[in-house]
Amino acid sequence: MKVYVSGLYSGGNPQPGVGIVRSVRQGFPFATIVGVEYSNRVSGIHWEDLDELWIQRPWSELDLDAYGAQVRGVLDEGGLWISGSDLEAMWLASIFPDGHRNLLAPPNGAFKRITKPSVEAADKLPVEVPTFISTDLPDWELHAFCRAHNWRVWLKGPYYDAARTPTWDRFIAARDALTKVWSTDRLFLQAHVSGYEESVMLAAYQGELLGCVSMRKRDITPEGKTWAGDVSPVDPKFEEPLREMVRDLNWTGGGELEMVRDAAGQRWLLEMNPRFPAWVHGATIAGHNLPALLVQAAAGVNARRAKPLASEFTRVVLEVPVRDEFPLPALPEPFAGAIGHSMKHPSGLTSLAERLHKADAELIGIAEEEAVADGIPQVPETFLDDIAAYDLERLQTPEFLYMGSTAEQLFRRAGERAHRLSTNEVQVVSGYSIKTNPDERLIGLALENGFLAEAISLLEVQKALKVGFRPDQVILNGPGKWWPEGMMPKERLHAVFCDSVADLDRCVDALATGEMDSRHVGIRIRTPNVVSRFGIPLDSPGTFRALVEAVERLPAHVAFGVHFHMASSNIGVAQWWHLFESMLKWCRAIEQLTGRTIEILDMGGGWFPDDWHSSDESRFVRAVERVKAVLPRVTQIVSEPGKAMAQPSMALAMRILEIQEHEDDSIEAVVDGSIAELPMYAFQPHRILRQCGESGALQPLGRGKTHLMGRLCMEHDIVATNVALPEGTRAGDVLIFCDAGGYDRSMSYVFGRG
Amino acid sequence: MYLVEVESAAKDQAAEVVAPGAPSDRWEEFPYSRLSHHGDRCCEMARQWVVAMDFAQLNGASVESGPRWLREKYKWGPSPWPMHWCDVVERDTIDCGAHAALALEVFAARGLAAFPAQLVQKYSKEATDQWRGSWEAEEVSCHWLDGEHIYHEATAVLVGTGELKVWDGSAGSWVNPRQRGGYGSVLSIRVFADSPEAISNGFRWGEQRIAANRWQQIG
Repeated sequence: MKVYVSGLYSGGNPQPGVGIVRSVRQGFPFATIVGVEYSNRVSGIHWEDLDELWIQRPWSELDLDAYGAQVRGVLDEGGLWISGSDLEAMWLASIFPDGHRNLLAPPNGAFKRITKPSVEAADKLPVEVPTFISTDLPDWELHAFCRAHNWRVWLKGPYYDAARTPTWDRFIAARDALTKVWSTDRLFLQAHVSGYEESVMLAAYQGELLGCVSMRKRDITPEGKTWAGDVSPVDPKFEEPLREMVRDLNWTGGGELEMVRDAAGQRWLLEMNPRFPAWVHGATIAGHNLPALLVQAAAGVNARRAKPLASEFTRVVLEVPVRDEFPLPALPEPFAGAIGHSMKHPSGLTSLAERLHKADAELIGIAEEEAVADGIPQVPETFLDDIAAYDLERLQTPEFLYMGSTAEQLFRRAGERAHRLSTNEVQVVSGYSIKTNPDERLIGLALENGFLAEAISLLEVQKALKVGFRPDQVILNGPGKWWPEGMMPKERLHAVFCDSVADLDRCVDALATGEMDSRHVGIRIRTPNVVSRFGIPLDSPGTFRALVEAVERLPAHVAFGVHFHMASSNIGVAQWWHLFESMLKWCRAIEQLTGRTIEILDMGGGWFPDDWHSSDESRFVRAVERVKAVLPRVTQIVSEPGKAMAQPSMALAMRILEIQEHEDDSIEAVVDGSIAELPMYAFQPHRILRQCGESGALQPLGRGKTHLMGRLCMEHDIVATNVALPEGTRAGDVLIFCDAGGYDRSMSYVFGRG
Repeated sequence: MYLVEVESAAKDQAAEVVAPGAPSDRWEEFPYSRLSHHGDRCCEMARQWVVAMDFAQLNGASVESGPRWLREKYKWGPSPWPMHWCDVVERDTIDCGAHAALALEVFAARGLAAFPAQLVQKYSKEATDQWRGSWEAEEVSCHWLDGEHIYHEATAVLVGTGELKVWDGSAGSWVNPRQRGGYGSVLSIRVFADSPEAISNGFRWGEQRIAANRWQQIG
């Protein structure tokens, strides 16, 4: 009996080959085991149980047709082949679409039905699949997905590789890297599921399940790979549908279902691998020798029974002698001035991925049903109407465009929503954050629509008063509220929130001396667990006690309130709502301990426009009900939508200065805008429009290979990456960056303008 | 670890045991640890801080998640008893009884059915000698140590119909119900519950049935 085993890479992220070899050897001590590899740098080729080696040239060099014929010869002569590599198994399936009795890997049809992330074939298993979307979707929607899942998301490649993308710039970088490594744009974003990792490994032959075993990861490497685990039989409620699935797929070979079990016990399927896992010999140690069962079924020769040694296994690092006939290859010379050596897989697996794409572009069908061609985002009609009112040809770019009708509509809807949410007991009112965009037109709209003005400095207070707000419509908060000196209004303000105990003490003094007057005086509390530099901390019993004692010093004649603020676009929408609930608990504790009742609750902010404007209003209705239930003396809730108001209210027009096409099909276009006008370019996507030179129509840009580089002589002045310029685009054309009316506008600076 | 008022009684009882049967026999009469409350604002402020902080640290995760933040904030080690709420929150180091008491409070505040749990675990004579040294250096009672066995406290949480998970607050992890013997394994467990249903039906912990309010040998 001759058994060929591939996937012998044995580094920190090992392939299963060595484990398969050890298990086959245990089941069949006299078998001839041949190690198959595509590089002599793969350390597993030196494992002692290998009788022979069949080392091929790396996948990048290999003549696939000739090699396919050789493999066929090996199989026809009776050799059994257990593949330890996803991509090799995929390639073998393309050579043997209906399988081969000696090829112990899944047939072609099975691959298409286990494509991650949906793993269609597993729909009868008692598992859920974590929410995911294809990165074919527009960046605008990908950003929304990240926010919706609290930035606890993974960007995953089509085969393996995953990167946590907790911020937009990290997402962009990881997408670029994965796209290059795996030669495909077909990636997907998947929501993280918190829990314990576990797997089910199986072996099947021609659709019959031969065995399966469950493993819980008990120790993992920093990359999340198994280092130790405990092994147990598969729950019959899982095994029965698994048996049906295997039959349905006509599965042959090893397989692994990788899952996470959450705190409630629900299993979430991350992916199904078309091979044994690297911990395969750990199961053999526990008496479940699945590779031997597989060989037994294919060869018709009984395997020596595995004796369970323990129900738990762990790994150790071993040094083994290098085989004389395959001495260690020379280390590659580092590029001059560079650091380290090549970290690529020595067999050139990523090259195989590229070749497989060319051979069968449909092999990887990630979430095709959700794919939207070219990633073109939806652009609201009001944007188009507002931009159409400008004569783009005559614009002195770069120039911010005020989106008048869009802004009016946003403020009106916010005002109406606040009115609808108000009850007889609790008034809901919006607050306009002046710092987000101090444009007087926007402050004026806030005034017209019943907002309060939220200021963080006395200059901002004066700006609000100048536009027409009365002092009793102004809320003052933040750490710099006394700056500049001497500008504090003598009239009564609506509310003042203190950012520290020292600030609170100063306010108490100012109230006593008449330096300041306010209907409400309160505290801003610092959110524990979510990092913030603002507010009075709650993170230790001592700081909490200091806060309680400070509140007790507030004079009785002022109404008390609490302010909390955290950008929902940064922490995610669901986490923001958790924070809201958490804050209510802190507020309740403060009320009980101080005896001061909270009359005003100011909740911000930093809402991404879509999240605030499009979200289900019932969520806000429930929030008001919660406030009433937990803090029954609250009479006013101030909701600060932050950039949800300002961001859509302006766009930035810039003009293309130059277009350079490169040999690798990438395009670099230089524009007269820059990161000085668009400082938020790395933190959020912007929907970009280009006016068609012929029709004058505004065309949204999809995803492509163009990088838009700013006019500044700065290495990082790139205002957009991976966009597609419509055909016919040329120098002089105007591009409109929408969604630039928030911090892009207020934080823009004069750099590079002479 | 234990209420100071029961320590001497427990010592006497331990001394009377000539040929101990199960490892838990030595701790048969031990009550589980309870934090004292001064009945004043100092303790109430501490208690409210723990409960509010726990919800904040939950960070949107399932309420059945273990409160690992307590272990991050409070190291495990010797601590004197009796202990009040206002004492415990200010300490850097607390023992398993205090960890378990805090966890019991936060699980209950999350709306879960949680119960005090006592464990007897097996380690090694070398380990218990080391612990004895640490505890004696702090002049804290160490009769939770007995040869290669230790008495330990944890918190049992009801996660399904009659199904328990056991949170080891000092380790910041769930106790593995599948462990059978060996270093660190659970030899005996006692879960305190007063509901008629728990008393008559007991609980399921992994694949084992656990009777309420009495020591049960594992394995």
